[in-house]
Amino acid sequence: MSIADQALTEEMASRRDMIVCRGVKKWFGDFQALAGVDVTVKDREVMVVLGPSGSGKSTLIRCINRLEVHQEGEIIVDGVEMTNDMRNIEKIRSEVGMVFQQFNLFPHLTVLDNITLAPIWVRKRARVEAEAKAMELLERVGIPEQAGKFPGQLSGGQQQRVAIARSLAMEPKIMLFDEPTSALDPEMISEVLDVMKDLARGGMTMMVVTHEMGFAREVADRLVFMESGDVVEVGTPEHFFTNPTEERTKLFLSQIL
Amino acid sequence: MSDVTVPTSQRAPETPSTSPARWVRENLFSSVSNAIQTVFFSLVLLGLLRWVLGQIFSEEANWTSVATNMRLLFTYNYPTEQFVRIWFAAGALFLAVGASFAAWNLNPVVTVRRIAVALAGTGAVSVVVGLITPEATPSSIRTGFLVVGVALVVLAVLVTRLIPNADRRQIPFLGLLIGVAVVVCGVLWFFPFGDYGFADGAPTAESGTIDSSTSLPVTVMFLIMIATYVAGRALARRIDLGWLRRTMIGWWVIGPAFIVFLVLRDPEFDWGYVLAVDVPMGAAFAVGGAVLLYALSKPSRSDLARVIGALLVALALFHWVAAFFGWYPMLQKARFSFALIAVAALLAPTFAGERSARLRFAGGWFGFMVLFHWLLTGINTPSTLDIAAPPFLGGFVLTVSIAYYVMLASFPLGVLLSLARTSKMPIFRVLSTTYIEVVRGVPLITVLFFFSIMLPLFLPGGMGISDLAAVFAGYTVFSAAYMAENIRGGLQSVRRGQYEAADALGLTTVQRTAFIVLPQALRVSIPNLVGQAIATFKETSLIAIVGGFDILRIANSTIPNQPDFLGQKRPALFFISVVYFIVAYSMSRASRNLEERLEAGQAR
Repeated sequence: MSIADQALTEEMASRRDMIVCRGVKKWFGDFQALAGVDVTVKDREVMVVLGPSGSGKSTLIRCINRLEVHQEGEIIVDGVEMTNDMRNIEKIRSEVGMVFQQFNLFPHLTVLDNITLAPIWVRKRARVEAEAKAMELLERVGIPEQAGKFPGQLSGGQQQRVAIARSLAMEPKIMLFDEPTSALDPEMISEVLDVMKDLARGGMTMMVVTHEMGFAREVADRLVFMESGDVVEVGTPEHFFTNPTEERTKLFLSQIL
Repeated sequence: MSDVTVPTSQRAPETPSTSPARWVRENLFSSVSNAIQTVFFSLVLLGLLRWVLGQIFSEEANWTSVATNMRLLFTYNYPTEQFVRIWFAAGALFLAVGASFAAWNLNPVVTVRRIAVALAGTGAVSVVVGLITPEATPSSIRTGFLVVGVALVVLAVLVTRLIPNADRRQIPFLGLLIGVAVVVCGVLWFFPFGDYGFADGAPTAESGTIDSSTSLPVTVMFLIMIATYVAGRALARRIDLGWLRRTMIGWWVIGPAFIVFLVLRDPEFDWGYVLAVDVPMGAAFAVGGAVLLYALSKPSRSDLARVIGALLVALALFHWVAAFFGWYPMLQKARFSFALIAVAALLAPTFAGERSARLRFAGGWFGFMVLFHWLLTGINTPSTLDIAAPPFLGGFVLTVSIAYYVMLASFPLGVLLSLARTSKMPIFRVLSTTYIEVVRGVPLITVLFFFSIMLPLFLPGGMGISDLAAVFAGYTVFSAAYMAENIRGGLQSVRRGQYEAADALGLTTVQRTAFIVLPQALRVSIPNLVGQAIATFKETSLIAIVGGFDILRIANSTIPNQPDFLGQKRPALFFISVVYFIVAYSMSRASRNLEERLEAGQAR
């Protein structure tokens, strides 16, 4: 069993591969951010990526929808290989939702317009249909009354929930979360995590970079620990939080818990 | 992308006013050094004012030169018997202003107290002017200033005393509009203007009262504006505001061109030729293009659309090359239309969608082509106007027309240049940077000379360009370079996360630019863009150098050459300075207003 497929239950191993990374390498100038990463995410799996800052976890998930360009190795998302072909990239991007640390909502558009923009122009939905769907999603993340406001008028937690709704409006097969709660005030973290838990229960394939250990323990199917651009250890939450194998993992967990 | 207006009730109340005496004590005489500075700089100011006043009022019988030449200053030699066209144009403009105010819910509110303060301030300045004007001034003017000043101050005091709660009470926008209309119309009906004529190509002037052929239309125009505003407000409550706004934007882009070329110029159509050539060609492009675009904007045909768009671009470029070398004759209209359909075909994947979206796209093209061909036909047809010296535009009308269309044309060009300059593709970057730096390194006059004198020499045989069009092209080329730099500043202020979020959602580069990046960049650039617009407006005065008769040239050389007003420059120059100032200051106030509205919409 390769490192990428460690700790999979038999049932999980039989599922389809949604994200496959093989030997992914990435340099920023002289600095090597990813040193040959092997990871596989199965259909309906929630994978949480842990690691100290600068370990390459954000870079990894940003490579998966081509916000960063990897230089070696291969990334295959839902059967489509990430190459320089713009059509492949656009196809992958419309199947993969992404939630950012800084929300990155469009400040000049209302919440509703933020959510309907991509469905209308990328998925070519009719406006009425897109707006109905958007209201449904706002209902789901618990803020339908904010539809007409601008992002600047919302709290951080509300903005992040809008950002999640915006990604979901594209009906993605995979959701990537890049430290979704790191820019939030403590009292707002749980409202965002609740939405994410709900999503995980609904069977969404998710890859989450986070420092929220409670979330990782409760929701993750598998955890990946990265350091210096390398995958150090892959395992179930139980394995990670009770007896991790690697020294480096133990050290990291002792610092953070 | 909807605008948001802050309801009046949510606006912060004005800070309670302190008494004038206390304000003076706290701000002007709070300490010894402050008091000394106040006194010193007041004296300097008064001295300057006295000198300026001496300059303005030094000549006897001065202001009749301005009052008599009002028509000359505003419309130059436009034939008097055709003046109904001017009034029609102005009426259409006023109508659009009123409707736009209503469509955008522009409702600036002023408190009674502010008006009182403004009245008192004007009155005080007027009294000071009356007191310090040099002795050379006719005594009637001095007493006039004193009387008006005292009257204004008294009025201001009465207003604050008699109207309770002046701090809070607001005058509705409609009231302000009516106030302005009453003042302007009152001046026109009761102030003695002269009449001006053009006899045998030489300007003549006679003093007297402006006759009802001017004051009546102006009054009617103001009534139209007020009526459309009221009607627009009523309409806005019943129908979709977005629809009204889109209509008005369309009008502002294309309406003035029709006014200038079809109303003011009165083209003499050769209907046989129009029906045989122009109409079929326009119809072919409108219908054929619409069908093509409807077919190409189906989401599954985006690859085909790109191929066909690229082929059409190649064809359009080939037509231009052919035109340059004179290989085969083709109407310019067709060449323009080919270029436009090529661009539209390339954009088809971006605007693709379901049936209704495609119908809108194709319908938009159809309407645009009809207007475009009608306009081009009008421009290419000789004018029926019997004018002593072309061009048919002159005076303030010329100044405003040139400025308006330069802004309108240089804006998209500037956007394209700034995008090219920030593009990832080196070839675009180099081309755009070269263009911008070359144009910015050359004085405007050089550009204007180049376009009016050199450009016709470079054009191939059979291709001509009118003086006005050449000057217009020169201004546009010049202004676009500056616009591009202003917009580039805005582009740089858009954060990286916005690009990433747009990419992550799968938007194409065109969509990302059009819906995410540009709207944010342009918001940031508004102050600079308006600054550039004001600069363009003032720079139109250089048109005199290449033969145009704009308002400055008339004030500076036409009026002083009239036998009645030989050598009298100062009053007219002072008058046009005031006109320039009013327009430029309105623009800068409007941009402040716009910024505040946008900020209120998306407070961070």
